[in-house]
This record gives sequence, structure tokens and C-alpha cells, in this order.
Amino acid sequence: MDLPQRRTDIGPPHYKDFLPPVIQKNYGDWKHHEVLSGGVMVHVGNSGDKVWSVRVASPRLLSTDTIREMADIAQKYCGGYLRFTTRNNVEFLVSDEKNLGPLQDELKAKKYMIGGIGPRISNIVHTQGWIHCHSAATDASGLVKALMDDFADYFTTKTLPNKVRLAVACCTNMCGAVHCSDIAIVAIHRKVPKIDHDKVKNMCEVPSTIAACPTGAISPDPGKKSVKINDDKCMYCGNCFTVCPPLEIHDPEFDGVAIVAGGKVGSLRSDPKFSKLVVPFIKNNPPRWPEVIEAVDKILNAYAKDAIKHERVGEWIERIGWEKFFKVTGLPFTFQHIDDFVIARETFRTSPAFKW
Amino acid sequence: MPKKYETPLLDELEKGPFPSFVTEIKKAAAKSSMAGDELGQLEKSYRDRRGYWKHGGIVGVRGYGSGVIGRYSSLPEEFPEVANFHTVRINSPSAFFYTSDSLRQMCDIWDKYGSGLTNMHGSTGDIILLGTTTDKLEPIFAEFSSRGWDLGGSGSALRTPSCCVGPARCEWANIDTLDLTYNLTQEFQDEMHRPAFPYKFKFKVAGCAVDCIASIARADCSIIGTWRGKIAVNQAEVANYAKSGMNIQSEIVDMCPTKCMSYDGKELKIKDEDCSRCMHCIAKMTKALKPTGEKGATILMGSKAPFVIGATLSWVIVPFIKLEPPYDEFKDLVRKMWEFWDEHGKNRERIGELIIRRGMREFLEFIGVDPVPQQVKEPRRDPFFFWKEEDFQK
Amino acid sequence: MEKEEVKQKIYELVEKSVGKKKLKSSDIQKTVSADAGITRDEVKDALRDLIDEGKLIYTYFGGSFVEIPPKE
Repeated sequence: MDLPQRRTDIGPPHYKDFLPPVIQKNYGDWKHHEVLSGGVMVHVGNSGDKVWSVRVASPRLLSTDTIREMADIAQKYCGGYLRFTTRNNVEFLVSDEKNLGPLQDELKAKKYMIGGIGPRISNIVHTQGWIHCHSAATDASGLVKALMDDFADYFTTKTLPNKVRLAVACCTNMCGAVHCSDIAIVAIHRKVPKIDHDKVKNMCEVPSTIAACPTGAISPDPGKKSVKINDDKCMYCGNCFTVCPPLEIHDPEFDGVAIVAGGKVGSLRSDPKFSKLVVPFIKNNPPRWPEVIEAVDKILNAYAKDAIKHERVGEWIERIGWEKFFKVTGLPFTFQHIDDFVIARETFRTSPAFKW
Repeated sequence: MPKKYETPLLDELEKGPFPSFVTEIKKAAAKSSMAGDELGQLEKSYRDRRGYWKHGGIVGVRGYGSGVIGRYSSLPEEFPEVANFHTVRINSPSAFFYTSDSLRQMCDIWDKYGSGLTNMHGSTGDIILLGTTTDKLEPIFAEFSSRGWDLGGSGSALRTPSCCVGPARCEWANIDTLDLTYNLTQEFQDEMHRPAFPYKFKFKVAGCAVDCIASIARADCSIIGTWRGKIAVNQAEVANYAKSGMNIQSEIVDMCPTKCMSYDGKELKIKDEDCSRCMHCIAKMTKALKPTGEKGATILMGSKAPFVIGATLSWVIVPFIKLEPPYDEFKDLVRKMWEFWDEHGKNRERIGELIIRRGMREFLEFIGVDPVPQQVKEPRRDPFFFWKEEDFQK
Repeated sequence: MEKEEVKQKIYELVEKSVGKKKLKSSDIQKTVSADAGITRDEVKDALRDLIDEGKLIYTYFGGSFVEIPPKE
């Protein structure tokens, strides 16, 4: 096979080669922008030039056929320019206003979901799941599809007090910013890894396996040239499995997902926040995980009803108090909600002033 | 001809308004037997409620230790076409802008050598080519690199830096996020392709405190644009917002975290010295409010997902730094940080974990940054603190 | 020190640690530069040559290491 000459250390192509002319011209000189609908916004330059962005959802997992279709649509209406967002949406960049209507018509005809801008649910940041990951305790894409089908109106048209950022992580490794999302699903294991001592001996480094454990549950087993795990200390995080695959952590019977809420990354109004545990466990129920949808629904509905305009989920919960959050959502509070990981005491309440 | 599988569970996920990943796999499976077996194995995962992938190993392109992630089916006899199903990470262009032609070019190469499945993009921001075999890695690399594309980071290396849309299409950008991202990526090619760090290292560049790239939650080094100066108020535009239905008192003034604003129904006043530059008022009234003065960034470090010590958010190291090409001051600072990490870091220890383990003082002294109140939420609560000999001389 | 000599030292170090401890690139740089009294950059340069030639390879097991390629 005749291959072209490979080159190393050239880095990515220069971004300027991919910017539409209107953006090159107004680069760094934008005046303001306006959200025109759930999926359309216009940015206005100090020059008076305008660029319209039409945002559509994508499942992140894309076939080359679909990417080609997007490229063709951009060619037809956008001079061949488009971009992807951090949350895996696609933005068609329109510099000629008369293309705006026909572009949206074609997108709708081809069943693209236009939306995700403004105080709405944007696309869900997620991980690989069963599609491609070794440590997945659930499938991320299936959960995302089921959730977004349910919340489609909040993506396209309906508004909320502020934007709601959802995320799905298929294990506690949490690729992506799941730990700082308004509402997020994180898959968990609940059983101590089963050790295949023969394989540990050949495949694993004992010191790095011990160091991988956040709770100090792993110690050497010199007789077997392997390791042992203290069942009372193990919190089933699965980090040891990543370092040493013969510590099998998967257990379909007991694996499932937890739901966390109240995180954010922006500094607007209040500091960035971590998401906190609201539902400790729901069993995997593919293909549509109805129990997860139901629980997320409860949180979202309570937020939509109670929150003040511009409050994010976490800000709303802090205002009403966590005790009231559990009351208005009807979600049960359990032992799992009280922290007993290594940094536990930060979350204990140190005041007698609270709500019933 | 790719093998066909019955997929009753996955077929359920082709229904509904949101675009379906199952449809995407089926489209690829019409052409690629690898995508066909991916679909078959995924259906089995849905049935058995568990994944069937193994990771790690020794796949890569010659000379590089990063950019390719080994992935193997744990059921190679049942699904032989995905026995090897490696990931190739392609370094994305700043802010994910593309031309139609560049996307088509990528698709052509990927259809020729891989499954036809991609992620646009992976969590770190790479273009993810999902599923190929070991023998195809060199051809893929030759085809991409000869056309101006390079591999991204993986393993104990600098990961592909990424940024928000920045000055390309946002009036709030205080720094050129695209240029800084491109410049850092080019400067540190060796650190990206030849893993020599204790563990991964991520840069994420946000133009302002809205942080659309989630830099503060998922970057070892979070670069967040800010300014030193007043917020200019266009009172006529304030009046327009009021006229169009905005309740300036409750939506803007009352929600200001520092209470530095007031509004008497006519004029919006800001006591700039009390403003913490959180972006709430500016984001809600973008036509009326504009930051002025010196532009630059806050450098924060240490955010990561829970493993091993629990999740962290990045914390302030340098409250304000000017960031203009060629960014030498910042690059020198980064090299000092890496030197500290190289000297003291353990295998799989992120730099933030190391700073916590060795203490902020040691880190700050090493990189030559003075202690300032902007680095902490509050001073320590405990009465236990170190004294060094040089402190007695002060 | 001649580059070939540095490469020889690196290779021996990696060979010696087979089955005992997986070495990271920085372990090699630290050990060889200290033993041979040369700079880290010289070691890094020689290591890069060894890897470009395929005599050593990068591997990944929950972290990136430098190892001798498996004999097929």
C-alpha cells in the first residue's frame, strides 16, 4: 500500500483556517449577542456584522455518514463552516440571514433537534459506557438517549429558571465534569472486587495497586505474590481494577447508578459547586432506565416549580436547604447520604437552625 | 458483508426525538464489519447488564507513547471483528471549528481504515476515532499527519488542551483562548506525545468566569480570563432591558453576590472596588455592561475527578497574569510547575494531589509565587503550622 | 558521553528492571543522568532515539512506562 510520508509533532491545524470570514473579520471585536429562540442566537460585531448560530443536538457518537451529512448542510447554507460545542452540540454558522430559515427547515426535515441555548437543558455530557469502556458500570449513551427523549421539550422550546446541565458518567472515574453538574448520573459498583491471584502475580504491580486505593483497603499478600482486600474498608470505587484488571469489580446483579445534583462550574452569583448525592442507587434497567428518568423528573419538576429566575439547581437547593429538598422531591434520605469517605466532617451540620 | 445481529433492546433506543446513537452504529455497520460486531456486543451488554471491554497494553504509532488507546473485546471468539478495537485520538483544532472539507477528509480516511464510528468529541476534547486494529495505526497516522493533523494526548502526558469559543464568537472573552490553546499545544508537543509525567496533565482555557469549557472542574491547570478595571455601564441600554421586562432590582442587583450594585429606577450604579467579577450582571445584560481596563487571566490548579482523594475544584495560584503572545511568562511558570511535579510526584499522582500532599507553601516557593489572600477562601482554622528558619529572620 | 553510550546505559537499565519494576520515562531520565553525570536533556534525547528505532516502546498500564518490546 502506498502511504504518504508521515510527519511528527506538527500539532493540530491552525484554527484560523477553519473560521468563517465573518468571524475572521470580527475576531475579538464582538459587541453583544441575543438568543432568538431555543436553538438560534445572533452575535453582533462592533462593525455591525452579524453571525447566526443554529445549534442542534448530537448523540456524540457519530458515524462518518452523519458527519458528511452535516458537512453538506454547512456547505449549502454556511459557506462550509460549522463547529461543535463542549457539550457535543453542532453549531451551523450562518453569515447570510436569508439562509437562516431554509437551514432550519432542512434541519427539521432531516429530524435534527434544534435547541440547547438559553435557560434550557443542553446536551448531556457523557462518557463511553458499554460502547467502549473497560470499567463501565452502566451504558452512558443509552441513559442519555432515554433522558433527552424525555426532556426534548426543555431542549427545544420550554424554559427553566436557568440553564440545567446534565451529565452521565459510566463509572466513578468520571471522565467529564460530572462532579459539577446540575443533575448527573454516575454509575457505581457495590461489591468488593474478586481477586484472580494467578493473574495478579503476572499482570500487576503490587505497590501501584495498593496506592490506587483511596481508603487503604488493599495490602500485600506475599504468600500469593498478590494483594488482599479488607472488605470493611473497600468502597467499591474500582480504581484498583483500572490499575490491575485481575481485580474484577463488575457485578451485573449489584452494579447500577447514583444520582447527584446541585453542582455548577460558572462563578456567576455563587462559587462553583460540587454535585451532591441525592439518590444512592438505582439498578440498571436497560434499554431505557425508567426509574432513573422518574427520579430526575422529580428533581427537575421541583426545581422548575420552586426556583427563582436565574437560580441554578444548586443555588435553589442551598436557598431552601437540603432538608427541604428531600421533602419537596420526595426522595428518601438514607445512611448513604451521610458522608463517611475520608473528608467526611466538612458536610456535617454544625448549627441547630434548620427546617423541618 | 458485515454480520447481522438481532438487536431488540437497542432498537428501542432508535425511537424518540433525540438523535440515536444506535442509528449511528447501524449506519456504520452497513459498511464496516467492525461496527457490526460493536453493535452485536453492545446488544449483549444490554442483555447482560455489563461491559465486555479490556484496556491497556502496548499499541501505538512509532515514536509516540500517546494518542492511541488499546481496547480489546473480552469476547473475541463471539465478536472477532472487535477483538482489537483501538481508539485513535486526533488533536482537535481550537474551539472545535471545522470546514466541511476538513470533516469529509477525516471521514474518508476513517472509512478506509476504521469502523466509521467517531466521537465529536471525547471528554478531553479530542476527535475520537473509535475502533481500529493494530496494523492500521501506522497508515492512519501517515494519512492524517501528511494532511496536517496530529495525534492528541493520552497516558501520563500532556492531554490535548481545549478552550471555549472565546474571541471567535463571544463578547466576554478577556483572553484569546483559541490562540493560547494552539500556542501551548505547539510549544509542548514533546510533553504530549512522549509521556514523561507522573500522570495526566490538562490545560483548559476559558475566556471568562462563565467557564463554558468547565475548566475549573476538570483541568490540572485552569486558565480563566478576567480583567482589572471598571464595568462600563450604558444607561440607555439598562433602560431598554427594564422596558423589555427585566426586573433590574430582583434579577440583577439583588443577585449580585457582593452587593456592589444599586438601581434607583433610572441609573444602575456599580461600586467597582467591591465587584468580584462573577459575570452574572454582564451575562444577563450584555448590551449594557462591558468590562474595561487591563485584560488577563486567573491561573488555578488542581481540579480532577474523584480518584484518589475525592473530587477537587481548581484553586487560585496566580490571581492575575497578562496573557499575550508569545506567553513566555506563563510558559516559564508551567515549566516550574512540571519540575516540581517531576521531582516529587508519584506514579498516577495528579499535580493537585501533590500540592495538597506537600503543602501549598512548598509549591508556591518552588514556582516563585508569593502568598496572597486571593489564594484562599479563608485563612486556616487550626493552630498547627510550620515555621522555617528563614521566617525567624523576617 | 557519546549518545550511543547513553543509549546503551538506558537499554541496560530497562533490561535490568524487567519483571521487577516498570520504569517511567522520568525514572530513566533521573537515574541515567545521575549515574552518568549528564543532563536530563541528553538522556531524553537518547531515549527518544531508542524509541524511534523501536528498540524500546511506550506501554500503558494505568500509567505510561518504557519497556522492551515483546518478542513475537
